[in-house]
Amino acid sequence: MSSAPKATQRTPFKRWCDENTGLFFLIPWILGFLIFKAYPFASSLVYSFTDLNFFKGISQYGIMNYVEIFTSRKTVSVLLTTVKYAFITVPLKLVFALFIAYILNFKIKFVNLFRTVYYIPSILGGSVAIAVLWRALFKDTGVVNTILGFFGIAGPDWLADKTWALFVICLLRVWQFGSAMVLFLAALKGVPADLYEAATIDGATKTRQFFSITVPMITPVIFYNLVTQIAQAFQEFNGPYIITQGGPRNATTLVSLLVYNYAFKSNEMGMACALAWVMFIAVALLTVIAFTSQKHWVYYAD
Amino acid sequence: MKKAISLGVAAAMTATLLAGCGTAASSAPAASSEAASSTEATSEAASSEATATEAHEINTTDPIELTISWWGGDSRHEAYQKAIEAFQEKYPNITVSPTYGAWSGWEEKQSTALAADQGSDVMQVNWNWLYQYSPTGEKFVDLRDYSDIIDLTQWTDAAKNACTVADSLQAVPISMTGRIFYWNMNTFKQAGIEKVPTTYDDLIAAGKAFQEKLGDDYYPLAIGQYDRMILMTFYLESKYGKAWVENNECQYTEEEVVDGLNFIDSLEDNHVIPTRPTMIAAGFDSIDKSQEWIDGKYAGIFEWDSAPSKYQSALADNSGFTVGEEIKFGDKANGGFSKVSMGMAITKSCQHPVEAAALIDFLWNGEGAAIMGSECGIPASTAGLASAQAADAVKPLVLEANTKVLAFVDMPLDPYYESSKLKDTTDGIYTDVFDGLSYDEYDPQEAAEILLDGVSGVLSANA
Repeated sequence: MSSAPKATQRTPFKRWCDENTGLFFLIPWILGFLIFKAYPFASSLVYSFTDLNFFKGISQYGIMNYVEIFTSRKTVSVLLTTVKYAFITVPLKLVFALFIAYILNFKIKFVNLFRTVYYIPSILGGSVAIAVLWRALFKDTGVVNTILGFFGIAGPDWLADKTWALFVICLLRVWQFGSAMVLFLAALKGVPADLYEAATIDGATKTRQFFSITVPMITPVIFYNLVTQIAQAFQEFNGPYIITQGGPRNATTLVSLLVYNYAFKSNEMGMACALAWVMFIAVALLTVIAFTSQKHWVYYAD
Repeated sequence: MKKAISLGVAAAMTATLLAGCGTAASSAPAASSEAASSTEATSEAASSEATATEAHEINTTDPIELTISWWGGDSRHEAYQKAIEAFQEKYPNITVSPTYGAWSGWEEKQSTALAADQGSDVMQVNWNWLYQYSPTGEKFVDLRDYSDIIDLTQWTDAAKNACTVADSLQAVPISMTGRIFYWNMNTFKQAGIEKVPTTYDDLIAAGKAFQEKLGDDYYPLAIGQYDRMILMTFYLESKYGKAWVENNECQYTEEEVVDGLNFIDSLEDNHVIPTRPTMIAAGFDSIDKSQEWIDGKYAGIFEWDSAPSKYQSALADNSGFTVGEEIKFGDKANGGFSKVSMGMAITKSCQHPVEAAALIDFLWNGEGAAIMGSECGIPASTAGLASAQAADAVKPLVLEANTKVLAFVDMPLDPYYESSKLKDTTDGIYTDVFDGLSYDEYDPQEAAEILLDGVSGVLSANA
């Protein structure tokens, strides 16, 4: 009875405010998104069509950066190296993470300790310590070649050979499999035990159970890991930056490192923005392909 | 002996500044269009220090905060910090907040800060930054406006001209520097060589002796990509008697550059220097941090005269560390160049330029110079050098090297020689050329073409 007259006294603005209270709680996020994401995102697209230089400003507009990206031997080679890097690291990392997660899913002693230990490399990320460690492992007189030497194998010059240097960088990414492993572990624990029981009664081997039960049941997580790992692989920066600086002879220069070089070493912001957009479109395309293909191989129980 | 060297360095510095930097400033693009007249104008402008537009007074009462940035090694960081403490004791109302780090990645950070007008108030700058990042004087204040605070008469006109860009004295030079050889004579003696190499033939003979007596892992000299470019420049300038770049144009033909590249190749072929793949495979950041240098397997470097300390201290046994002699590779000139190693500038975003000027004067003309000593090279300021010497803060090794360099080099240096587009150790033209050559991906002809295209591209972009 008493609330009806009060409601009629509310001004339209107050009523609007009351009805949209949630919006006010969102304002900090919206502002942050607009200022730190949307604006740089949009402005980088504009800049990609200019020759913006930090110190000289803009003197030319057009598609010259994109023409340069797809015609210059250097940028094409970097794009191909990035694709190669992604196609080597993503499958290797997923297989390795799944393998370790599968082992850690068994009831073994000290399993929690092993889970922690295997996750540590993911926390370390790309630091100077990792660079020192990786160089100590892979330099010509390093640990890896010393071990190979015990078996009478003359190891290659890992850091100086163009093919092996990329492999060294890939290995760093694969080594940091912890986050994918944790997701796989959670997924494995979610597979209903009765499926395995039924399969065992039917006489299915462990291998058969793995490929016919485990893998199909965790395909949503495989799909999630695939998409996120592809995006991460295309954005990889730390590995080549700290270990090889993109060398030798640009063999480990990935797109993000080239973006950095253009932006902060040559101050060619326009070119850096264009490259970033090419990378963004490539990742978006691969993600679309992955999403389109999921209906053929991803199984959602519900 | 020390006094004699000190007098020598003072004389050599003056002479070389006039020979080298004066021309360098005149060859700079800022001065290239109206070559002679503008050089004279710059010279006149630089020499008339008493042109401060208004009288300034250092604020000694209100609280003032200044920021300062520099790059360097640990000993330089310590010296700066002590000098800043002394400055704060002298001016208790001024607080100076430092930002410092190693050279690696430093230029990227500072150039980005400069682009956003977020640079430190007082900034240690590389010489080429003035030309590359403030070609029209938009980033650094004209220090002549504060000549009543900074005693600019302590620097020669030639030194100031080198830092005068767009008719604005954008920095004062901290020191002058050039390249010279340093040898680990302990390893040389193991190879049966008692004297430092003084000719090209000595280098070749040392390469053979090292290989035969010590093994394939031992080299008399180790040089990176940029070092190779500088050594080649020394060789070409000595042999052909002309500066690498003058009047904003590279003075060398493709054939001559091929000759220079063959010279570098000959050092590799004769085991004088390791190939680039060999050095990269060893997995080190810089030569002084390599096990090969520490153990004496690399027994020589070609370095700035201001940088030997870190190499000397890195050696497991540094008793044989010796400043070598400059090598004259041709008969037309000595070849080689000196340059402003670094400068001290005040950014235009500085809110307290008067106090910032006082800090610069304190560090390089006043009591601070005695603390800084030769941490940034031999001070270019006369008063600074006197203070440092009086405090016995000049390292004899640095002084000896600097004296030898400045007495030898006779060519100017174009400021764009060190443009990041050319010099960058990951993505620069010099790296592409010398790594490509060493990896046998380019023959000298191709490498010369790429080098000349790259250099002319940078010069024309800044014309």
